[in-house]
Amino acid sequence: MMRIVFERTGGFMGRKVSLSIDLADLPPDQAGTLKQLVDESNFFKLTELPPKTPLPDGFMYSITVETETTQRTIHASDTNFPQTLRPLLENLLARARVR
Amino acid sequence: MSHRHSIFCILPPHMLDQVAQNGSNAQREMAARTLSTSSQIRDRRVNVASAVIRGAFTAAGTSQRTVYDAKFGTKLPGTVARKEGDTPIADVAVNEAYDGSGATRDLYSVAFGRNSIDNNGMNLNSTVHYDKGYDNAFWDGQQMVYGDGDEDLPPAERLFNRFTISLDVIGHELTHGVTQFEANLVYRNQQGALNEAISDIFGSLVKQYQRGQTAADADWIIGEGLFTTNVNGVGIRSMKAPGTAYNDPVLGKDPQPAHMKDYVTTSQDNGGVHINSGIVNHAFYLSAIEIGGYAWEKAGQIWYKTLTDKLTSNSNFQNAADLTFQTAGEIFGVDSLEQLAIKNGWTGVGITVNGTTPVPPPSGDGCLKGLLHSLGLAR
Repeated sequence: MMRIVFERTGGFMGRKVSLSIDLADLPPDQAGTLKQLVDESNFFKLTELPPKTPLPDGFMYSITVETETTQRTIHASDTNFPQTLRPLLENLLARARVR
Repeated sequence: MSHRHSIFCILPPHMLDQVAQNGSNAQREMAARTLSTSSQIRDRRVNVASAVIRGAFTAAGTSQRTVYDAKFGTKLPGTVARKEGDTPIADVAVNEAYDGSGATRDLYSVAFGRNSIDNNGMNLNSTVHYDKGYDNAFWDGQQMVYGDGDEDLPPAERLFNRFTISLDVIGHELTHGVTQFEANLVYRNQQGALNEAISDIFGSLVKQYQRGQTAADADWIIGEGLFTTNVNGVGIRSMKAPGTAYNDPVLGKDPQPAHMKDYVTTSQDNGGVHINSGIVNHAFYLSAIEIGGYAWEKAGQIWYKTLTDKLTSNSNFQNAADLTFQTAGEIFGVDSLEQLAIKNGWTGVGITVNGTTPVPPPSGDGCLKGLLHSLGLAR
């Protein structure tokens, strides 16, 4: 079981983009890809990022991943976003951005 | 109450700037002599006048533009694409960032006598083609960053064009830099919404100045051209009519209020900084329309001086109202049309100005004294 909740707020427009996915509801190949992206990002072991002063007009991101045994939320901005998380972010944004 | 000023002191800022930049040595010296014989100076002219003197007698810092290309990655600043003085290249985003930062620098210089973002000739660095599908532009504390919108989607699905397309967006981002060096308003809640409004106000003034539009002629739209034709909207925000810029099945409706009674309390977007800015934007619009003429000359001047001399990091809407009113009284006189227009602008968005007795303008200080003071040579 895995659930992912994604939110992007702020930006020049101040418009929130969000998404909540239960992998069980996705076609198996898509669910597999997302699970793999979470694993490869080392999501549950990433070092906590120091909080930063908000960037004017910058986006703020929050990604929550929940499994049977654990749950974690990572917050980041455009300039301190962990590189290892970017492939997962790209996948989530592609789903959330234009709907 | 009216004040008398020397001819030089009442020269419009754009003419002072012309003298500073293009005048012969003799003309510059004459400008200085004229200053020395004047009897009074409006505070707002001091910065401009001192810029003239600096231009005449010392080498002022000269801001250089550099536009970088992130090549759809997120590493800043990226690869140099165009430097100050280079001819245009075959990349429209690069050229827009270059021209737009130049236009912004020009407005600040000509209208307010400001030497770049930090008033000390700071270089203007911009990065374009930031990230893939990046529907945004931001100021990272040191430079401007622009995405290309929805370039990664099929045309029929695209909502956003590149963010350099809109000159007021460029002016908006650079103004975040100015605010950072001046009031340094906290980017949260009402302080943050005031920070945002200041960026919209001066961003719009950059566009109006470049187009030569009066307040009545201007569209007061922020982010005109950012939406593709797939979106039902004229831009991101409307200072003239907040809440009406777009209404679209995918993007929803423009959430900006135009009045304090509709102030939005939210934890998102740093406390709704891009939402409640509509209230201040509209107050500025109302004042500028009432004053008439070119908005950067009077309303812009009042706000510029308030931003640079009076607002602090914790200022809220009420403080901005009181201080712009006070500043208008200092520059244009107590009960002047300009001061009343500032008051009426705030009243129009539900904010009552406090303090009808502003600090009186300096009396007996000549242009030269003000100038020497501004240069740190007199008290």
